[in-house]
Amino acid sequence: MNSQTLLYVVIVPVTWLLFWPLKASRSRQTLMLFTSYLLYASWGLRFLALLVFSSLLNYALGLCLRRRQSATRLWAGVILNIALLSTFKYLPAILPLLPGTSLEPVFAHIALPVGISFWTFQALSYLFDVYQGKNLEPSLLEFLLYMAFWPTVLSGPICRLSNLLPQFRESPKLSLEDVWCGLDRICIGLVMTALGQVLANGIHPGQGLDDAFHRSLPGGTGPDVWCLAIGYGFELFFNFAGYSHIVIGAARLFGIRLEENFARPYLATTPSEFWTRWHMSLSFWIRDYLFLPLVMVRREMWWRSAALVVSMIVFGLWHKGTVLFAMWGFYHGVLLVLHRKWQQSQRRFGWQLPHSIIGGLSWLITFGAISLGWILFRASSLSQALMMLRVVVTPSSYMSHMLPRNLYFVVCACVLGYFGTIGATSLCCRYNKLFNLPLEARFALYAVAVYVGILHAAETQAFIYFQF
Amino acid sequence: MKDWLILGRCVLGVVIFVVVLELCARVDDALSYGAPLSGPYSSENLFLQDQIGKRGRPGARYQKWRLNSLGYRGPELRSETIRIECIGASETFGLYEAEGREYPRQLERDLNSRARKDSFQVVNVALVGQTVATAALRVPETVDEIHPTIAIIYPSVADYIWLAWVRDNPVSSATSRMTDSGQPRVRIRIELRITERVGNLLKQALPQFVQTKLRQLVIDEDTVKNHYPIMDRVPNENVRRFQKDLLRLVAALRARGVEPVLVTHATVFGNLLPVRDWDLLVAWRKFYPMLREGGFLDMEQRMNDVIRAVASQEQILLIDASNEMPPGRKYFVDFSHFTTAGAEMMASLLADGLEPLIDARLSQGRLVAPSRPAELKKRH
Repeated sequence: MNSQTLLYVVIVPVTWLLFWPLKASRSRQTLMLFTSYLLYASWGLRFLALLVFSSLLNYALGLCLRRRQSATRLWAGVILNIALLSTFKYLPAILPLLPGTSLEPVFAHIALPVGISFWTFQALSYLFDVYQGKNLEPSLLEFLLYMAFWPTVLSGPICRLSNLLPQFRESPKLSLEDVWCGLDRICIGLVMTALGQVLANGIHPGQGLDDAFHRSLPGGTGPDVWCLAIGYGFELFFNFAGYSHIVIGAARLFGIRLEENFARPYLATTPSEFWTRWHMSLSFWIRDYLFLPLVMVRREMWWRSAALVVSMIVFGLWHKGTVLFAMWGFYHGVLLVLHRKWQQSQRRFGWQLPHSIIGGLSWLITFGAISLGWILFRASSLSQALMMLRVVVTPSSYMSHMLPRNLYFVVCACVLGYFGTIGATSLCCRYNKLFNLPLEARFALYAVAVYVGILHAAETQAFIYFQF
Repeated sequence: MKDWLILGRCVLGVVIFVVVLELCARVDDALSYGAPLSGPYSSENLFLQDQIGKRGRPGARYQKWRLNSLGYRGPELRSETIRIECIGASETFGLYEAEGREYPRQLERDLNSRARKDSFQVVNVALVGQTVATAALRVPETVDEIHPTIAIIYPSVADYIWLAWVRDNPVSSATSRMTDSGQPRVRIRIELRITERVGNLLKQALPQFVQTKLRQLVIDEDTVKNHYPIMDRVPNENVRRFQKDLLRLVAALRARGVEPVLVTHATVFGNLLPVRDWDLLVAWRKFYPMLREGGFLDMEQRMNDVIRAVASQEQILLIDASNEMPPGRKYFVDFSHFTTAGAEMMASLLADGLEPLIDARLSQGRLVAPSRPAELKKRH
């Protein structure tokens, strides 16, 4: 726990108490904006200044676009936003690679404003929506709040103004359903982030996934690499999906329903299905504002595949401007293209296997391919990633393992626990036995979640997606 | 009526919330550290009081700290090993390092990896708050129990700020905190284990300036309550007393055939002056409210000069950690306690420093391993 988290723990309940007695939506918006700026300022006043600048700039660009929907104005907005993002996110990484640049010392020490990738993409989605003629006419206050909305500003989900604006303008009454649902989501999120931390740190210090990746495994074996890849996939999922639960739950306490960001991604049976379940707010953003416009440019099949690969590379680079993230995006682009080709071949040659076989096989291949991709996402260096991938395709490397047994145990327990929980939830839904816990039992479960999520691990790792 | 019922249930819910939190903390302690589910559980469990002062309770365990059957932090003694004992206070006992990564443990691994066999055992006889004077009084029993060949002395010098805290004679009767059976008196009160966790969490989360302000309040309160005079620097008399006690410790070890090695005291500040991290000095002063913040580094310098002078006078191997340990938060959690990386660095410095002495001793055939572990008396 750090100072910022403590500030959230103090400020959010106070805001909640002040929020509900207010009747006018404008007063509520003002309070929420004040809270959002206060909380964001805790990360640095310069970051707040940048956020306000970007918000005002994009509001002005939106006004221009509303007056006349021209591609030139849209491009100007896109370029300004990308330039702003690149200055902080990509230039410090790129400049050292360019020989003889005198600007390197200037950019080398620039700190990355927290959440810049998220709120820049929110601003861009607003410009695209206005350009496409959507009826969005936010007031300045509403737009500032949209950009700085405290639950989402740090790590998403990347929202659309069309979803938030109507909710900002409503003045709903306090509903117990919202409160319980919000608290439930926060507690689920706390438990999930705690699980992510167990995977990262291991049961015993120095025996978690983080240490295994840092040690770079000079003689890693096949089972080790698979354990690391699958384990990291779940660590990332628990961490980011847990964070998303907390954010969605926190917004719900204020009567605001955010879009979901994850939908049981590891049940996906194809790569394209995976991307409709994992980090949905970003993948839908890429689909709507990059892939679909690109596809419209030409009608040829090769162009469609190229657009897919380019979109996924951008997806990867959104996380960080490194070769590894570009490769990760490229890898997923190729997976999507291969899946599309497979579907085409199936249709052309009329291949049909029983659903029970093809479903299971398809899930296994998708799960394996997605998991292997996490090596590129997490590896400390390109050489480490290549070495790990080489091990995967070397049959002789599968004869032994080097990672501690308890790491295998933790990974297996988390994976089986995840699928077991999904199965149990589905059964409950099927037999219409949804949990309807009494108030007292809820408080007891909240206590367990708070203990597991906050108190047990006082020195929690930061949420992984803050760095993006 | 319905509203009151809901309110009542919410209050009951809050009570349940706190009770379940406490239960979670107790189950967590039981699963992680084998702690009892009921009864008191604190760091005090690790220690006993005897005529000399505080000592380790044999076989005690609290969280990551485990004492062996002799009451020393670390594993049981092994036979056929060359033993090196580490004398010191909390820096040596280990506070913030990961389990088994305090510098004596890391030194043992370092020496054994250099020797390419398991021939050394480093025994951590340090205790939190142990002064050089008390360590000198403990020498006969520790040497009897451990049979060390070398004793590394890494003294915590700050206790000499206030001489009333330095005891140099065994007390004749048990201290007031002891019962007739030698067990500490159990104070009957309900202690919530969750409060310590919340406290730790707040320590991590409160901004530095708030923590410093709170510490300053505690210092002011402590000073008024105990009528401490405020000093700008440690009196010369205290420095002389430190020197006297250090000489006594060295003499006691030598009298029992143990070769002492002196180590100067390292801090997070290194030799960097003026100090940039004033907050850390305030944190340090919280334990010694009578000395103004500016006096701590002066004290360190003068006490380290004493260590160097004693080493030179007595022709003892000196390892100058205060000069060689890099300053900064990478190696120190606070003013003087190590991080795991700091303990590793310290162990490496010590291993480098000890190497010539060990080589010389080995060539003279003067490094002998005690052969029978049975000769070691177990304390009960």
